[in-house]
Amino acid sequence: MKRRTFMSCLGCGAAATVATQTGLFPPVINSLQNAFALGEPSELSSMEARHYKKLPGGGIECGICPRHCQVTDLERGYCGSRENQGDIYRTLVYGKPCSLNIDPIEKKPFFHFYPGTQALSLATAGCNVNCKFCQNWEISQSRPEQTENIDLSPQAVVDLAVQRKTPNIAYTYSEPTIFYEYMYDIAEAGHKHGLRSVMVTGGYIEQEPLRLLIPHLDAIKVDLKSIREDYYKTIVNGELKPVLDRLVQMKSSGIWLEIVTLVVPTLNDTDAEFRDLARWVKTNLGADVPLHFSQFYPQYLLKNLPPTPQVTLEKAYAIAHSEGMQYVYLGNLPGHPAESTHCPKCNAMLIERNGYRITQMNLVGNHCPKCQSEIPGRF
Amino acid sequence: MSKVVVVKHFGDQRNRPLTQSEYEVLLTTALRTLSGQSDFAAAVRRYLPGGTVGMKANCLAHQLNSTPLALADAFTAILVKTGFKEKDVVVWERSNRELASAGFALNVSGTGRRCVGTDATVVGYSEEFYSSGEVNSLVSRILTEIVDVNVNVPVLKDHSVAGLSAGMKNMYGAVNNPNKYHGNNCDPYCAHVNNLEPIKSKNRLTVIDAVRVQYNGGPGYSEDYLAYYNGLVISDDPVAADRVGLEILEHLRAINGQPTLERTGRPVRYLASAERLGLGIADIKKIELRVIMIDKNGRESAGELLE
Repeated sequence: MKRRTFMSCLGCGAAATVATQTGLFPPVINSLQNAFALGEPSELSSMEARHYKKLPGGGIECGICPRHCQVTDLERGYCGSRENQGDIYRTLVYGKPCSLNIDPIEKKPFFHFYPGTQALSLATAGCNVNCKFCQNWEISQSRPEQTENIDLSPQAVVDLAVQRKTPNIAYTYSEPTIFYEYMYDIAEAGHKHGLRSVMVTGGYIEQEPLRLLIPHLDAIKVDLKSIREDYYKTIVNGELKPVLDRLVQMKSSGIWLEIVTLVVPTLNDTDAEFRDLARWVKTNLGADVPLHFSQFYPQYLLKNLPPTPQVTLEKAYAIAHSEGMQYVYLGNLPGHPAESTHCPKCNAMLIERNGYRITQMNLVGNHCPKCQSEIPGRF
Repeated sequence: MSKVVVVKHFGDQRNRPLTQSEYEVLLTTALRTLSGQSDFAAAVRRYLPGGTVGMKANCLAHQLNSTPLALADAFTAILVKTGFKEKDVVVWERSNRELASAGFALNVSGTGRRCVGTDATVVGYSEEFYSSGEVNSLVSRILTEIVDVNVNVPVLKDHSVAGLSAGMKNMYGAVNNPNKYHGNNCDPYCAHVNNLEPIKSKNRLTVIDAVRVQYNGGPGYSEDYLAYYNGLVISDDPVAADRVGLEILEHLRAINGQPTLERTGRPVRYLASAERLGLGIADIKKIELRVIMIDKNGRESAGELLE
């Protein structure tokens, strides 16, 4: 895909993902007699990464995420997007997005953050975990040379958002922690132009990089994939504890925070797990943090499982409500009543949604029009 | 019982690398010995009966410590003498850039030996995932669709995580997500990568270049830790070949004052895991080892693995 074609995909509805590892090649390649076959992929970035230290005796230790990869010369970290080149750790994806699109902010999902606005959304290749259910595995589980990337500097991203009149920039689709430097510089430049930045993340990031990043962000959505450590170990290939610690850090920083849990049949869909998750969120983050339960679709390494039954999601909704969570939503069920926001005090309809569309907006500022209760969020 | 052949060249390669013709002598001797066939063509055909033959190189360390071009040329020449057409030989790696940086001339013209990386525009990875244990990967279409059989042609070297980098570790270059499989010293991931169906079924020979060995500080190049073993390790058992390679690596480490890999926290446990998967023999006592010295006149004599 040429840059012009790529850019023209913006706003056309379909994600402009340009993963190249599957499906884009001629079905028969046995002849291999095409000189075009030697076309060079685009150059990767050689920007020095932040948050790493050199190890005595050679090699580096990455400090961007709790994995703390120790990486020797010419090797990469688990994310596949950072490489040790002569004991200088370099990010290979700075200014090299492989996905770029304009989405409703509700798609992230953010339901209490400037509803009805658009977000210029981007991602690079790579991820620091490997969820068996990943919906975007074609980019998240690829190395940057396996995706088709374009050159887009932080300032060019900001210029594009201004040109397209999108007030938000979203770092999403894969895991923005692995393109930390790019995200940081875009967010910093964006604020100078009055653009908001939102991070859609698994929350598997180290404390210090997050602390430095938060002032340049306006909202964070965390995929809290489960409340069970074993699930993180076997399904996510990560760890739960650091994610919980970062959630507390985010909340205490004052940044706007929403949480999503993808409900996967047979793996994280018991009543006890829904209850434990809601209790943890309420106790540690507060009852007013929006909590979304999303429907799973068979993808990637879990094609053997069915989509999450609606009744299971409704059970999660009911349990979270019964535990005192005030803003519980169901995702990937377009038209379901649990997509909408109601006043927790008087039950008035505040924001009615159908899929990513807002069909009624009754909030007055950030207050319920009926009982004047203050609704948390950024409106 | 698996059989591994080590052929050693008489010279000291400190001042010059082996030439193509010198590699041809080593390969010819090794293949005859391994197969037990005096007829050279029959020896080759025993492992590579026909079709398109892949040669998976290891070019991570660019021209400094990668699969030598002379070795690939020598194997190609042997295949041609056996009746294969040059165009039916494909030297491959994960990227064009790595191949070029190691001195290979990229070629998909349809004439002559092909040489191409998986990242080339018309190649890429399989559309379906292949799985073994916790390994789930797309596999290079060079292996799944282009070649009928494959010869694994790595270099023997130390690896900062795996401990040993030889044949089995080289197959990380055949999958789309090798960065996911370096935990726990690559165990059992390295075994499972080699247990992926296209890799297991198409790899027929392992030819480990142990002429110049990076015995520490790998997998990148470090001139502080180079030793000259002047040999090739060849087997149709990928586990046994690596096991013998490990003996050589540990020996070179020991005589150069380096601790064992186990003591450096890099035990090579993936070989035992591979044996448990039925990929080959990791127990050195169960490996029939033949070591052959080739003198300057091309005469063969029995040699010692570790001297």
